[in-house]
Amino acid sequence: MQIQPSDLGLIARVAGLGKRYGDGAGTVTALDDVSLGLRRGEFTAIMGPSGSGKSTLMHIMAGLDSPTSGRAWLGDTEITELSDSALTVLRRRRVGFVFQSFNLVPTLDVRANVMLPFELDGRATTIEERAWIDELVATLGLTARLRHRPHELSGGQQQRVAIARALATRPDLVFADEPTGNLDSRTGREVLGLLAAASASAGQSIAMVTHDPIAASHADRILFLADGRIVRDAPRSTPEEISAFMLSMESAA
Amino acid sequence: MMRSRFRDQVPTLLVATLAGTFGAFLLQVIGLLEAVISADDVAGSSGTVALMLAIVATVFIVIAVYVSAIVTANTVSTVVAGRTRLIALLRLIGSSARAQRAEIAREGLVIGLAGAALGILLGSGLAFALERVAVATGTIPEVGFDYVTPSVLLPAAAVVLTTWLASWVGSRRVLRVRPIEAIGNANEAARDELVARRGRHGVALAFVIVGALLLALGVVVGLASPLGVFIGLVGGILSFTGIVLAAHVVMPPVLRLVGRVLGGSPAARLAAENAVRNPERSSRTTIGLVIGVTLVTTFSVTMQSYRELLLAAAADRPGMEQAIDEPLTITISIFTVLIGFSAVIAAIGMVNTLSLSVLQRTRELGLLRALGFDRAQLRLMIVAESAALTVAATLTGLVLGFAYGWAGAQALLGSIQGEPRLVVPAVPWAVFGVILVAAALLTIAASVAPARRAMRVSPVVALAVD
Repeated sequence: MQIQPSDLGLIARVAGLGKRYGDGAGTVTALDDVSLGLRRGEFTAIMGPSGSGKSTLMHIMAGLDSPTSGRAWLGDTEITELSDSALTVLRRRRVGFVFQSFNLVPTLDVRANVMLPFELDGRATTIEERAWIDELVATLGLTARLRHRPHELSGGQQQRVAIARALATRPDLVFADEPTGNLDSRTGREVLGLLAAASASAGQSIAMVTHDPIAASHADRILFLADGRIVRDAPRSTPEEISAFMLSMESAA
Repeated sequence: MMRSRFRDQVPTLLVATLAGTFGAFLLQVIGLLEAVISADDVAGSSGTVALMLAIVATVFIVIAVYVSAIVTANTVSTVVAGRTRLIALLRLIGSSARAQRAEIAREGLVIGLAGAALGILLGSGLAFALERVAVATGTIPEVGFDYVTPSVLLPAAAVVLTTWLASWVGSRRVLRVRPIEAIGNANEAARDELVARRGRHGVALAFVIVGALLLALGVVVGLASPLGVFIGLVGGILSFTGIVLAAHVVMPPVLRLVGRVLGGSPAARLAAENAVRNPERSSRTTIGLVIGVTLVTTFSVTMQSYRELLLAAAADRPGMEQAIDEPLTITISIFTVLIGFSAVIAAIGMVNTLSLSVLQRTRELGLLRALGFDRAQLRLMIVAESAALTVAATLTGLVLGFAYGWAGAQALLGSIQGEPRLVVPAVPWAVFGVILVAAALLTIAASVAPARRAMRVSPVVALAVD
């Protein structure tokens, strides 16, 4: 019998993942035989300098891109074999996204943006889900903003709306791509605290791509990527430790 | 950069070319008809006929140029909205807002010149083709008409001027682009979409009120004299201008109503939201078509009422009825086609604006894909949005046109039988049918290209930082 990722307490797993662009002499290798597992309920940071392949890894794990070689699972579903429409449904129900540039739908108000994943699924929310969403909105301090549209909000508020949207469906995994990249450091810390709290109190699995050591210090686990390979798998660390390792990677390169 | 600058202006060129073609074609055909008539002028009345033809042609050309100017201004606004980042970047590195705006107006001038030149060629070519066919079938004699006439330069000049002017007016929002928009996150909803424009509202309201009063006065005067139609005409133009100015207030309620009919699927609901929540964008997209449909409907309701009244008056003399009906029907049909051309220009404007606005929403579409919208839902959303816009514009145009048409008929015909009477507005069912079929076709046409483009959007673009 095959061992499923969930038997190992993993929410997502990739094995022998490779991604190459172009062919012949001009081939660019974005990912080179990457294997890793993300543990359920953990807040994992994926770090690395620009061009290390961290975004590509996230795109593949989220079902947005397909690898050149290797396999990827979300829960027990092997996503590298799914059709475009199956991936679409998977993203809708089992994945949440928080982007660097917030990416709220400008025509919708805060409430409608948070409810969007349910809208897209064409279903009404259950009483339980509504209670969860109310709780989220209150925790994120958005109760007074429900009728506002994105452009009426500050960057930090917009990002909190995006977090509410990502958490609303209680997805298997939330992907956060440089979620603090467009925020000032205080607002950024707030947002990171909210993500860490969602993981600690609600058991939400989160994968965050970042190159900011302070952001990564909020995570339970930190994976370092360089040149398309995982070079280090570290537990929770201080910003100083993370910076030191990043600098040593730079000087080794 | 120059290439990309002009690529998004292709719709503007198309509109200018169409207006130019229409103008040149009409003038060439009129010139040809004059030549034919004066060739066998026995009654010596060709001067009067020529004058009448020239007046009629002028009216239709003015209408077409007016509609194309509004369409152009709206297209340019959309183009500018799409270029916000580029304009902000140029502002950031030191270009002034005034210079940026002048650049767009200059593009308008170049496009106007190109459109007018193409229009002269195409319009004259079409007129020549028509002449050859007519001569070949023996409809008109060979008159050796000279197509190189200075008169075609008049509509061409009108096209150049209005395209230039419309580009200037449409580029107003360049002034509101702030250099800082080149940096940081690109939330595509610009704040200015919601800026209240009290001044514009006031002017629009004044236009509507004064126009409506004049229209009413025209109807009352019309009970005593057909000259009431001129008062009514001024009132109609004023009130309609007011409605056009306030389109971003008038259209959303209609769009909301239509949106409710679309149904409750997420794609349809998002489409309805898209059509409603950005009043500036949706009024830009629809107003040209509203104008076109209103013109056609106004004209055909008035003419149909006129025709039915004449036929009723002649009902007791059978031979007379026949003699009146045939030329009248032909005349009305020709005029309807001519005025309908403005609606065609407006429709093309709508297709373009919708395409551009979908193109500008690439990131939003990518986001929907990332969040779990499948391709079919995305296509459905674009089609539904197109349908909501087309149906709303057509309905508004039909209602307005019917009201104006009835007012026109009443003012023109209220006193025609020597005593004040109420004119029952006649419904030109054939024209309504054509408008509805055209609207259905337009919905499809307007959504094909944007839907295909939307379906190609990869969800990864939502994550990209530009």
